[in-house]
Amino acid sequence: MEMTLAWRLFKRELLQGQLVLIVLAITLAVLSVTGLARVSERLQLAINGQAAKFIAADRIINSPTKIDESILNKADEIGLDRVSSLQFNSMVFAEDKFQLVTVRAVEQGYPLKGKIELNSDSRVSLPGSGEIWFETRLGGLLGYPSSLELGHAQFTLSEEIARLPDAGFNPFASSPVVLMRMADVAGTGVIQPGSRVTYLAQFTGNETQLKRFEAYVKPLLNNSQRWIDVQTGDSPIADAVKRAERFLLLASLLGIALACAAIGIAAQRYCQRHYDVVAMLKTFGASGKQIRTLFGMHLLLVTLLGVVLGLIGGFVLDMVITFLLPPEIAAYSPPLYRPILLGLATGFISAFMFSAYPLLRLLSIPPLRVLQRQLEGLQLGMWLHLLLSLTAMALLGYLYSGSLVLTLTVVAGVLLLGLLLSVLGFFMIRMGHSVGMKTTNPLQLALAGLRRRAKQNAIQLVGFSSALVLLLTIFALRQDLLNEWQKQLPENAPNYFLVNIAPDEVSPLKRYLTANTVKTTDIYPVVRGRLTAVNGETFLTSEQVEAGVEGRQGISRELNLTWRDSVPPNNEILAGEFNVNSDEVSVESGIAERLDLKLGDSLTYIIDNQTLIVKVGSIRAVHWETMQPNFFMIFTKESLGAFSYTSMASFYLDDNKSQVILDIIKQFPTVSIIDVGTMIKQLRQIIDQVSLSLTLVLVLVVLASSLVMIAQTEAGMASRQRELAVLRTFGASGWLLRMATGLEFALLGTIAGLLAVIVAEFILYLLKTQVFELNVYMHWPWWGLAPLCGAVTVALLGVWRCRQLLKKSCSDLLKAG
Amino acid sequence: MSDISAITVKNLVKSVATQEGELTILNGINMDVKHGESIAILGPSGSGKSTLLGLLAALDSPTSGEIILDGIAIQHLDEEKKAAMRKQKVSFIFQSFMLVDTLNALENVMLPAELAGIPKAKEKAKSMLDRVGLSHRLNHFPNQLSGGEQQRVAIARAFICEPKVLFADEPTGNLDAANSKKVADMLFELNRECETTLVLVTHDLVLAKRCERQLLMDSGELTEARNNMSDATKPAVAVTDSQPAKAEAS
Repeated sequence: MEMTLAWRLFKRELLQGQLVLIVLAITLAVLSVTGLARVSERLQLAINGQAAKFIAADRIINSPTKIDESILNKADEIGLDRVSSLQFNSMVFAEDKFQLVTVRAVEQGYPLKGKIELNSDSRVSLPGSGEIWFETRLGGLLGYPSSLELGHAQFTLSEEIARLPDAGFNPFASSPVVLMRMADVAGTGVIQPGSRVTYLAQFTGNETQLKRFEAYVKPLLNNSQRWIDVQTGDSPIADAVKRAERFLLLASLLGIALACAAIGIAAQRYCQRHYDVVAMLKTFGASGKQIRTLFGMHLLLVTLLGVVLGLIGGFVLDMVITFLLPPEIAAYSPPLYRPILLGLATGFISAFMFSAYPLLRLLSIPPLRVLQRQLEGLQLGMWLHLLLSLTAMALLGYLYSGSLVLTLTVVAGVLLLGLLLSVLGFFMIRMGHSVGMKTTNPLQLALAGLRRRAKQNAIQLVGFSSALVLLLTIFALRQDLLNEWQKQLPENAPNYFLVNIAPDEVSPLKRYLTANTVKTTDIYPVVRGRLTAVNGETFLTSEQVEAGVEGRQGISRELNLTWRDSVPPNNEILAGEFNVNSDEVSVESGIAERLDLKLGDSLTYIIDNQTLIVKVGSIRAVHWETMQPNFFMIFTKESLGAFSYTSMASFYLDDNKSQVILDIIKQFPTVSIIDVGTMIKQLRQIIDQVSLSLTLVLVLVVLASSLVMIAQTEAGMASRQRELAVLRTFGASGWLLRMATGLEFALLGTIAGLLAVIVAEFILYLLKTQVFELNVYMHWPWWGLAPLCGAVTVALLGVWRCRQLLKKSCSDLLKAG
Repeated sequence: MSDISAITVKNLVKSVATQEGELTILNGINMDVKHGESIAILGPSGSGKSTLLGLLAALDSPTSGEIILDGIAIQHLDEEKKAAMRKQKVSFIFQSFMLVDTLNALENVMLPAELAGIPKAKEKAKSMLDRVGLSHRLNHFPNQLSGGEQQRVAIARAFICEPKVLFADEPTGNLDAANSKKVADMLFELNRECETTLVLVTHDLVLAKRCERQLLMDSGELTEARNNMSDATKPAVAVTDSQPAKAEAS
């Protein structure tokens, strides 16, 4: 019976439009989660796909020893595509010239992602047997021979490589790269036991396969083997991708929080409207169980409808956005199950947990209400409502983001808002009731109303201010992230690097560049050296590490060291002071963490077979994604200047100034020129995609905020309806009532705006320091703008709703009130 | 009317706490209503009539005293048992009709029958609506019905479960004279046919006089009304506490 009755009530209320608000709120929650999840997954796939081109695969195992066959077999079993390759340094000879090169020996299938860019239009995918492809600068160094010798074998030089997809961004890679077939390596005889070789296995597959493989392989890797993905690799976009992912997660979280607020408000209205029905049913003898089942079923039907509409809406939204996105992103299609499951969970958890408190009150409505209409249900206390709401929000947030920090930040914001509102509510109530309606002018009527409804208004402020908080937060973060990326990759980001500049070439080169109006970054001296010990404790050798010897691990390669008087641009001192004493070194924070270095630690270097001991004077944050020369270790000139060095610089060159490059090659033949223009273009493309996603997310948040505002206005007007009706009946003019309502809502909007700024600044502080690693600053213009916008928006909504109500006749108003 | 009591009330007291201290609304009420009997409770506004009705119908709990409804002492029952008792034995008619806005006339009448699990609720509801002259309004919603029609729907709803006791709170309070008479005629006719005990709270002397007994509530005390009630204790005309409903449309 309860089911039939629930269905009947649902059907009738739906047709009469009484469920619009709550269904819309649930729909919006599900729509934003499903839609955003789908869009953000699609964008993440696209971004990762683009980023994967930087490592030529989705994942890489990098190992100094041969990779175990069982690992490769497992990859095959899981269904991953894979290629193996070798990388080692060797001398190549061409007639009387020789040069150290980095040899990359690959299998058929390389590269799995991206492509090898050649200087010719050739469509050949890989060098043939007996062939070597070479980097342009090797041709210059060896005088463009037709063949060269590598070990015992002779190779034909066939194609010039402009860029290998996984070459990475390393302007210090002074030896040019050659590409050959792996099958040809044996014939060269260059790899002997003990040779220093890097074994690479590159993999591609779908996310599920990759995750499965990762879970299998990671525990099997030893300390000298590395597992690389687009985010852990040397990819300069790793940071941008990570931040964009976090932003999308956060935006969806805030979307959930907003939609939950809308559901909370709508649920309250939904329950209030059923007070009389429950009282009447109880009077006619309905048992507690019958009423619980009836309204449980009713809410379930409402939720189901909202969820179904939300899922459909989410996919329509995804289709619309996909249509707007560039085809190379739209082509990525993530699996459907996650957005659907998230949508379902969001719909049901938020609908039931946010309705729990209003529903408990509804179920406790006494039957005596049929005779005494003022009776309401149990006052269980706001703490229960807050607890349930926060639990729902935290649960959904964690379910969605999997990030405790993000979830806790949102919860902390909600708590602060709650605290501020409680304080404000307390003061508003303390102002006391005003005597009479003060109907002489709209302002007095509005102020009197504000005081009379102090408690309801404090609750209303929750809706208005949470909508504004979330809007401000998302807007500010989006702007900060875009600015940050713009700063890292400005229009004139360096697209050429000059390395191996001999000391006596520095001045002529500077003069040449100045004469051609080319602006370089600072010129950095580069000294090669190896860090061997910390506080006298020598690092383990790679052989010792492979053998499993316990001890301190260092960096298994030579580092590029430089000296400077001042902190380089885009670097930030985190601890200590920059090179105050001559025996100090400034260490990059990542490597300091990896090697467990602290201020004052003594570091031993071997440079040109000499020992140099310095102290850690400062720890520096470096933005690696800026295409600038960046260094792990920066010394003083006094300590490093005595060693032999070369210099490096970077500069931006317009496409129409390519003659400059040719002149440099001619005038400074030993200087190596590295073109990173293509990489910058790819980076920009990724950042543009990310920016687009941020904008789309902002639009969704604006929509969600609007719904919360409308829901809150609706709820607010419901509590004013009876008063409006009475005033109207006694002849109050429409103008007076609209103005008074408008002013009362404007005052509420102002307070909401002010609260929103306080909370948004707090949330942004947490997010920027704990999640996004962005600079914290106050948004002073907001302190004026937010209350103003809040006042205007809320007042307009109030007046609009009031105008609608005043179109009704007095008797209709009284009945409805 | 039989000699068996439908309602027996002994020393019933109802007090509530207010800011000024405890307020006694009902002060030692005693009464006895026989099966099939109809009684009217009269009295000025605020005298405690509705409070007494709420207690008799097991909608509220007394501070002290005893209420026996159809042989059951209801003052000790918990809410669930009270609900079960109401479902089996009592029904209601209210001044403000208390129809569910979103259900049509037929569905409103079916509601108590469905709650009580009575089979063929729909057929019964149709027949009840036919008896109150609304067979042509089955699918109309409350806001499409006049006040008189809404109260007739409420009467049909009240009788569908054939209650032992019917409580009516100002059943004509929201109606004009013509509609009041029509509604009252139906109420008493059905009451007679179903042999229901009727407890009616009203200001309307005309309506009250149609009951077999009239009781007068004043300052929380209940007395048997004299046959010729004085003007001091009775309202000269039917007074309502709230908005009159719109005039009968049909």
